[in-house]
Amino acid sequence: MKLNCRLLSVVGLILCSVSILTGQDDKQNYGKATDEIFPYQRFQKAYKYFFLEPIQFYGAGREIPPPKDIKEVRIGFLGPLEGSEIVSLGKQMLQGASLAIDEANKKGGYHGIPFKLMIHNDVGAWGAAANEVVKMDDEKVWAWLGSIDDIVSHVAIRATLKLEIPMVCPGDPDPTFTETNIPWVIRVISDDRQSSYALVNQIYKKDGHSRVAVIRANNRYGRVGIKIFSETATRVGHPMVIEERFNDGETDFKTQLERIMATAPDAILIWGNARESGLILQQMRAMGLEQPIYGSDRMVSPEFLKIAGNLADGIMTTCQYNPNSDNPKLKVFQTNYFNRFGLEPDVFAAHAYDGMNMIIESINKVGLNRVLIRDVLTDLKTFQGYQGVTGKKVFDKSWNNIADIWIAKVRHGKFEFTSAPSIDPKNKVGSKTGNY
Amino acid sequence: MRKTLQKNSLRTTVAVILCGICFVTVITAQPKTVKNAGKTDIKDDAKSMPVYGHWKNFTTKDGLPSDHAYCVRIDGKRVLVGTHDGLAVYEDGKWETYTTKDGLAHNGVLSIDVSELTGDVWIGTLGGLNRWSAGKFETFTQFNSGLPNDLVYCVICDGKDVWTATGGGAGHYDTYTKEWEIFTEKNAPMHEPWTYGVSAGDGKIFIAAWGGGVIEYTKKTKQFKDYTDPDGEMEIDLLPDDGVVHDITTATSWADGMLWVSTYFGMSSYDGTHWKGYFDHDSGLASNFINFLRAEGPVVFICTDKGLSSTNGKSWVTYKKNDNSSDGMAIIKNYGRISDSTINKTTREVPLTPSIAHNFIIGVDADNDVLWVATEKGVSRGELIK
Repeated sequence: MKLNCRLLSVVGLILCSVSILTGQDDKQNYGKATDEIFPYQRFQKAYKYFFLEPIQFYGAGREIPPPKDIKEVRIGFLGPLEGSEIVSLGKQMLQGASLAIDEANKKGGYHGIPFKLMIHNDVGAWGAAANEVVKMDDEKVWAWLGSIDDIVSHVAIRATLKLEIPMVCPGDPDPTFTETNIPWVIRVISDDRQSSYALVNQIYKKDGHSRVAVIRANNRYGRVGIKIFSETATRVGHPMVIEERFNDGETDFKTQLERIMATAPDAILIWGNARESGLILQQMRAMGLEQPIYGSDRMVSPEFLKIAGNLADGIMTTCQYNPNSDNPKLKVFQTNYFNRFGLEPDVFAAHAYDGMNMIIESINKVGLNRVLIRDVLTDLKTFQGYQGVTGKKVFDKSWNNIADIWIAKVRHGKFEFTSAPSIDPKNKVGSKTGNY
Repeated sequence: MRKTLQKNSLRTTVAVILCGICFVTVITAQPKTVKNAGKTDIKDDAKSMPVYGHWKNFTTKDGLPSDHAYCVRIDGKRVLVGTHDGLAVYEDGKWETYTTKDGLAHNGVLSIDVSELTGDVWIGTLGGLNRWSAGKFETFTQFNSGLPNDLVYCVICDGKDVWTATGGGAGHYDTYTKEWEIFTEKNAPMHEPWTYGVSAGDGKIFIAAWGGGVIEYTKKTKQFKDYTDPDGEMEIDLLPDDGVVHDITTATSWADGMLWVSTYFGMSSYDGTHWKGYFDHDSGLASNFINFLRAEGPVVFICTDKGLSSTNGKSWVTYKKNDNSSDGMAIIKNYGRISDSTINKTTREVPLTPSIAHNFIIGVDADNDVLWVATEKGVSRGELIK
């Protein structure tokens, strides 16, 4: 009997080995997706799965010696600082990055040489971000940090690949950003894939809704973000009942809301910037739409709370970190940030602070060589589990931070943060039907 | 005692049998590899696919402005090389460098093409587009012309027309009328104006749109058509031959009735009716990470991060440098995917002394019996082995 068991075990092991040798082995799904929500998984195995192994950089450059006689160690920054709807987010990101630089310089910089931030505005006509990355190469930065807007970041990563400059992204949640297989880029903020999965779990599985209407920004942030939500909702059996759009800067949403009202949804999801989201909420309630409201991460903002006022209570959205966490590092950061800039840090400031500290730590570890800095940032060891002010970083094989995100709920005019519901395919879907 | 011995003996026998099964399985799962240094074999293999050897490598020690070469273009008796630090021209055994001091828009030269009509050289740089004509550099930027963006990833000449793929969309310049057209998401089927490569053939322009697959423009009708990955998902390729393997495309090239498309996830070919996908696990492709490709006749040369591959769709030749020496090999494979689970493969490795300069390949050009390769560590010239 014992022999049979052992024999079966050995045969099992061999079959397992043969399976690995002859094809792609089965591993955890990309993006922490369950089989239920992974594309086509319930119907057909894909021919090829991507992002299950990190792309290595096989190019040259590791042998290049560091320069002599430099007076500053330059690190690039790219963000929306002028002429954009999201300048306030860009400024917070810059302040978070600047604080990290200042603190590093107080500790002596890099072997006594100060770090210097080379600041670039990413807003401009015709792919300005690409030109800014070229300027950073001309300035001989060792790495750079940015940005927030999806279009900017995508333009910039192609340039950073061509010029081979390590890039850390603290603000763009577009899932496709790291789905480009570029071995020069890491992202320290959780993406909209994780936000969408969390919202689907919260809305359909935990809160039991089944008929959800969506109103989203008519820009790449809205389009790409809602794509994952929509696909995931469909896979759990509940396609969106309607998808309405609005433009940045729009103030009257009556037409879209009337169409939503006509579908009698039992919950509504708003995906957009803080200002428009607040106005939509106001007009929704004024029209008598009393459904529960869910939102995207950019709602977690003082601007949204100010516009929405008392109407904000009960709104639920996702957030990439918990600003009320007991993390001692976070407390120190929040104090220092407030003392320096006179306001509370937002999600972009906090992630920029973490991202810049990772760049600085990489430079301190391997010196002034772009390829070696890249190697450290992407080795999935040095910064795997990195404890920043935004919590623990968990990088997947595409160097995307897939750490757990948070559900933010407004209560008495303030956001309260709880862990996002765990992904459990057994959870009941659509148990609650609204009657509004 | 006897029982113990019998048990041990049985265990040993079972273990030996299982090891045997395991060994046979591993052996049969690997491609058949034959190492052979004889030139006769190269000639035999070269009958179906061109094989290049007698490699000569050039670096800054030979006169290149930088070892980091982005592109190479053969122009008659001279060879033009774009590097991170300037344009290098090889003629009569010597290198000459041109930089911003000579009129280049930027020293980073990413792409070069030569007009068959006029002989003018068009140069795509990190900071604008140049026309090099009669010894003078004329500069086009997004501020003095209709160039969509100053970061010009790719430039091609197509008769009187010049096409560019830039960081802000595709640009078309008519050298007769001196007028520009810009193609972005506003007037072409792209999600965003992210273009990376462009090629011409069969009366069409094929734009590699980053995240948008391939945008086909028919010159006669001025109509666009896009080809994207039919499964619509970034993390998988559901079916290998249903369309372009991924939407993050890096280059296109058309020749002999076949469109070739490179991505960072594998390669595709399209004969106008059927698509076919190629990955490193089911073909002779050195790597799925492809920076660029160029088709010449029935053969396409593929610039990967692990060597230079070439194929006619059936047979494959990959040039690789050894890690710790200047030598390398040509890996000749006959690879065919019979079905999703069955792959027919034979492999022959031919040592080459010396080999290409580096395995990270960014640019390539072929002309008659010569192949030039731009790598991250210099430029290489190979000769067809006849």
